[in-house]
Amino acid sequence: MKALRRLLVCGFVLLCAPPLAAETPAKPVNAAEFKSALVSARGKVVVLNLWATWCVPCLREVPDLLTVTNEVNASGVVLIGVAIDDPSPGASEVERFRKKYFPDFFTYARQGPEMDELASVIDPAWNEVVPTTYLIDRSGKVVRRIQGKKSAQEFRKMIKEML
Amino acid sequence: MKLVAALFTTALVTLGSWASASPMGLSPEGQKASAPDIAVNSKGDIAVLWVDRSPQDKPADGAHHHDRHLAVTDVYVSISKDGGNTFSAPTKVNASSGAVWGQQVSRPRIVGTPNGTWHVAYSANDIHPKFNKTLLTTHYTRSVDGGRSFESPKRLSSVTDQDMSDVIHGGFASAAAFGTMASAPDGSVHVYWIDTRHMKPDSDSGALYGSASGDDGKTFTTDKQVIATGVCPCCQLTAVANSKSEIIMGSRRVEKDSFRPATVMTLSRSDDVAHERQSIGGAPWQINGCPLKPTVVALHDSKVFAASHSGGEATPGVIFSVSNDEGNSFKPRGIVHPSAAVSDAPAIAINKSLVLLAWHAKVGTAPRRVFYRYYNLDGDPLGEVKELESSPGVSQFPIIAVRPDGNFQLLWQQADRIWSTTLAAQ
Repeated sequence: MKALRRLLVCGFVLLCAPPLAAETPAKPVNAAEFKSALVSARGKVVVLNLWATWCVPCLREVPDLLTVTNEVNASGVVLIGVAIDDPSPGASEVERFRKKYFPDFFTYARQGPEMDELASVIDPAWNEVVPTTYLIDRSGKVVRRIQGKKSAQEFRKMIKEML
Repeated sequence: MKLVAALFTTALVTLGSWASASPMGLSPEGQKASAPDIAVNSKGDIAVLWVDRSPQDKPADGAHHHDRHLAVTDVYVSISKDGGNTFSAPTKVNASSGAVWGQQVSRPRIVGTPNGTWHVAYSANDIHPKFNKTLLTTHYTRSVDGGRSFESPKRLSSVTDQDMSDVIHGGFASAAAFGTMASAPDGSVHVYWIDTRHMKPDSDSGALYGSASGDDGKTFTTDKQVIATGVCPCCQLTAVANSKSEIIMGSRRVEKDSFRPATVMTLSRSDDVAHERQSIGGAPWQINGCPLKPTVVALHDSKVFAASHSGGEATPGVIFSVSNDEGNSFKPRGIVHPSAAVSDAPAIAINKSLVLLAWHAKVGTAPRRVFYRYYNLDGDPLGEVKELESSPGVSQFPIIAVRPDGNFQLLWQQADRIWSTTLAAQ
């Protein structure tokens, strides 16, 4: 009985833990925290999207990414956003935007002064262009870097190739 | 007597902090400085400018605090009257704290004119009288006392007639930003910016607008549309004037299928397009996104030197290109730092016989650092790529100007400070 309870608690914790939770406020993180979050996501296919509230193509792309990743969510695909906006207390700008336009979008926000702080964790050669989307396999390896807005159809094809 | 001695000592210490051997820190410790710019006037005085992010979270008076992306920065200017060896204590340009919308990809700019006036252009917020929403507009101010004080700013961009706040800009009804400025030999001052007042909701391109002054910044013309569409809305403009007082402008063009070449064009003295935008070459870059990459230009007689980051290259980085016919055609010289994982943020300056190109790059596992290389006037490299000597850690966003002695003054951002050093004209 104790073991069952422990399992239930563990399951609940896992369900609540980012990056899987929907309608989670944008969380400002540093590079170490972000790296740790990506390690936690191993075993899943991660679609990592670098975006900004001032980037119009990004804003057009996020709904498509949400649609496509929701379609294959059961196959262990998760969408993680990283907002590269200038940091503000409590990620308030990013969170206002996320909540208003994409309430189901799970995204981190950068905490430090450098725009490439979080992106450098997976791509030290990122050229500070948004949107940039990385497809990361279940072992945590980046298998594709996609720059510029892509359609739902293009993302669907690329993600399905990884499943 | 003790008081005099103490005052003298204080003065020496203060002076010492600005007159130390290069590299020297220009922005005070405690500020969060970024986005440097530099200008040299015909008297040989040097002005440096930077943005201070310290007032963040305190939007300027009058701005709507519920809006996003509000102006939250200040601009400072410091002047050297001895050819770049020492600099004055910085002067805050904007009167209202946090009034400037300034950042590395949309830098405030400074130029000088022959009678010693310093001109500054930057983006700031206004409130739309009809929509009661925040606008991002282009402002101008000048100093006629050698940089000790700046006049009340004037808005150069007209108020938009279209409310786009629900579509773009995170709350702005429209934006006039990512601008540049140039002073011409005829004494005119030209300010340009990228404008979205008529941008369609599904569009990916902005318009180019400009305004000019023929009386040293006292008055400006009503703003004028120079290019109606096809201008990358997030790639800062650059401009220099040639000996005919025409403007040579760097910008990024939005083309069919999202190709975004770095381009250079010539504007007449009345800001009409004299020569259409010419690509500076390199591999095509197809990017339906926000490149945030300016195209920098520098002139020497009929030669135009241009550099810009291109994501179309096998290894994304800065490409360098030379025109021998006033910018009508370009011969690309390839990636400037092929061994770097990525290079960006180029700056160019030319003295009588040398071209200096600087940029920041990541090499191996090292953090971003500033690098430079000399070229001859044909665009051929002289010597190897060199890393700028500076403190460990991230060094970035170099800016260069030619000093009165012919050497190069190079500014860059290191942590939260702006630094300066002199590079010899070899």
